[in-house]
Amino acid sequence: MTTPANDDETPGAADAPPPDRPGHADGPDGGRGDDGDDGRGTGNGNGHGSDEELHGLLAEFETPGALIAAARKVRNAGHTEFDCYSPFPVHGIDPAMGIKATRLPIVVFLGGLTGLVLGTLMQWWMNAYDWPWNVAGKPTWSIPANVPISYETTILLSVLTTFFGMWAANKLPQVWHPFFRLDRFARVTDDGFFLGVEAGDKRFDLEQTRQLLVAAGATHIEECYVDARPEARTMPRWIMAAMAVLTMVALIPVALVFKARATKSPDPHWHVFSDMDYQPKLKSDQPFADFADGRANRGELPGTVARGQLKADDAYYRGIAGGQWLTGLPAQVEVSEATLARGKQRYDIYCAPCHGFDGAGMGIVPARVEALGGAWPARNLVERGSAVITMPNGQLYNTISNGYNTMMGYASQMPVADRWAVVLYVRALQRSQNAAESELPAGSQVR
Amino acid sequence: MSATKSIHPDEKYKADKMGGRLFKVGLAAGAALLIISVILGATKGDHWRRFLYAYVVGWSFVFSIALGSLFFIISHHLTRAKWGIVLRRLAEFMAGTLPFLFVLGLVFVLPVLFGNKHLYFWTHDGLHDPKHPLWHHMHHKFGWLDPAFFAGRYVLYMAVYIGLARYFAKKSAEMDTAPDAAAAAAIADRLRVVAGPATVAFGFVTLFSITDLFMTLSPTWYSTIYSVNYFAGAMLATYCTLALLARVIQQNGKLVHSVTVEHYHDIGKYMFGWTFFWIYTAFSQFMLQWYGNIPEETIFYSYRMFSDWQYVSLALLVGQWAFPYLCLLSRWTKRILPLLMFFAAWQLVFHWVDLYWNVMPNAQWTMETTAHGVFNMGPLAGDPAKHTIGFHFLDITVWLALVGLFLAAVGKAMKGNLIPVKDPKLGECLAFENY
Repeated sequence: MTTPANDDETPGAADAPPPDRPGHADGPDGGRGDDGDDGRGTGNGNGHGSDEELHGLLAEFETPGALIAAARKVRNAGHTEFDCYSPFPVHGIDPAMGIKATRLPIVVFLGGLTGLVLGTLMQWWMNAYDWPWNVAGKPTWSIPANVPISYETTILLSVLTTFFGMWAANKLPQVWHPFFRLDRFARVTDDGFFLGVEAGDKRFDLEQTRQLLVAAGATHIEECYVDARPEARTMPRWIMAAMAVLTMVALIPVALVFKARATKSPDPHWHVFSDMDYQPKLKSDQPFADFADGRANRGELPGTVARGQLKADDAYYRGIAGGQWLTGLPAQVEVSEATLARGKQRYDIYCAPCHGFDGAGMGIVPARVEALGGAWPARNLVERGSAVITMPNGQLYNTISNGYNTMMGYASQMPVADRWAVVLYVRALQRSQNAAESELPAGSQVR
Repeated sequence: MSATKSIHPDEKYKADKMGGRLFKVGLAAGAALLIISVILGATKGDHWRRFLYAYVVGWSFVFSIALGSLFFIISHHLTRAKWGIVLRRLAEFMAGTLPFLFVLGLVFVLPVLFGNKHLYFWTHDGLHDPKHPLWHHMHHKFGWLDPAFFAGRYVLYMAVYIGLARYFAKKSAEMDTAPDAAAAAAIADRLRVVAGPATVAFGFVTLFSITDLFMTLSPTWYSTIYSVNYFAGAMLATYCTLALLARVIQQNGKLVHSVTVEHYHDIGKYMFGWTFFWIYTAFSQFMLQWYGNIPEETIFYSYRMFSDWQYVSLALLVGQWAFPYLCLLSRWTKRILPLLMFFAAWQLVFHWVDLYWNVMPNAQWTMETTAHGVFNMGPLAGDPAKHTIGFHFLDITVWLALVGLFLAAVGKAMKGNLIPVKDPKLGECLAFENY
């Protein structure tokens, strides 16, 4: 430290040394000489005149350990109005100062309990009382569903109680303290350990207390004076006025929100981001007067085909060959175990609900209708000699694609290849449901 | 401020004959109870099913403590925690039982390997018949749930656990004989570096091992948090056991100066924390499954909510969470040692109830008649109202037998110093104080 922030250079101190000031009360210099504290200085910006009164004594210590020892000593001497100041929490300072265990946990427990009760009540009021709403058939009032919210409100109120309870217990926020007048005290945020005894203490006696602090190992002791005039101890009027105005201004948006909630208005709502709400663009099915047909959608240009949309192969895409339903299979369809398995899987998903897994027309939907007393069987796909068995593959494919009677088309759910796979699988179902005994593989017939 | 202290001059921190005594007492009690249980199991006439299920519950109890101890050790090295250094040896002794637990686990793993089909329903032959109503739930799982593969995985999991436990215990013991402080500090650094990957390995293996060993008892049920819930219970049980073990050792005149009320206070904090984590995971599993309301998830709870098991469920909610949670909130419960010991014992008993509640409902298998014939539907099937607890005296004796054998194994591992005398941070741990 080449240029120590020495308080002794403070102009105010040099200019107006108080006449009745008892001089620099330097304690035993505990090796602070390197700090520039050579004992020549007298003031710390603490010049006090007749309007000032003694707030207390501030003693500095070298280490946290010395602070703890001093606190114990001051406490044992019967002082109660004193406090310790350090850059970080010093373990063990509470018992040394005689501070009792905090009651905050009890307050926090009650705060948490309040959160639990309020959170649960809030859910009951919202979901079960004020606005009961059926969500997936769940009960409007049920404890398991409420637990996460109640848990969160318990934590929220516990945390808030802890935070603000700690403020209240420590008389925070405190924006100013008399010791701030002592420049040396600034080091409490860096490397200084201080103990301050207030003049209001019953046992306080300037000389005796000073002796006590010296004996406790203080490296530096200072008196601290505060302005005694009442007007110096209140907040300036203009600050109060500004705070009042700011509070009123801050309430305006809240008031507007409440006004909007409580009144009716024919005006459209405010658009805060109007360029997002109204974008200069048209969606496909919107009207647009500037085009002759009044539609925003322009459709396809005559004579053009979009990429991949040609689908010229009638046999594959439409099941038609030479103006007739295709009787065989398109060249793209490979008759294999894999295609058949794919067909079965798609069939079980899309067709089986109505036509049944066996194709006989009694899937879960008709079965349900029957259970409810109605009758609505789907077409039996495997009935011997029926039209479905004799119809060409192309017509079967077309039915899957575009539907038939009340059956809708499945072109949007199943790609072309899958529809052909289903055709194959339906053929396999028909074959298996109508097989003659002689067609079974040797050895598998029932004897 | 890190105050330090050296070991109290009058401190007795050598294990001496205490391990041997614990070994003898544990072995005698464990063996006697095991013989009683085997006799009870043999006379039950149900192909040893009740015995095997009770054995799995008991084994999962002692296994959870060994597993929790292993994680206690690893996490302490990983975080360079100082408060628990005086307890680390005790955890090392408990994790040192893992090789022995591996052998004890073979009692139910080997029968699976050699064709016993009365413990895990996935070993049931009928499931492989496509006509079985549960076939479509199970057929894609047969590759994983294969007796030989299962036994192989058991060996792999235990090998990882045992390897980790041995490594950390061996290095920790080496610290005691380190020539100087620098050498001891080097070992501590080494253990801290290894603790990172070890944590990952532990977590990964535990996810699989708990799913395999305990969750496949209900093979059609799904849950992704099951292992985490078991782990939470395991950690809770570990801290309870640590508290009791340290107290018993102190009452034998050892470690009386090293383990102070401050250390017990911290154990109490962890008991409190893991109690809450346990209910947190348990409730997470419950709420998502209750809300989702999908049959393959809700079966787990329908047989625990709409049968006699509902009373156990409620007892668990109050006994393992509400009561200890509210009581352990206070600082004083954790600092008044008889109270803390009461809660440690209480929560250990309810840890067993928790495992019993998780495993035992699977012991009742139900036959069901369908259009395709009569099928064994395994656990969690049929009318929940007809599901019974089926408590047998054997359930308790097997548990206590395994606890006895576990303590015997702890006694066997209890050698040398009861605290790592040359750990570089031991001084700070001895001076540890809760402010």
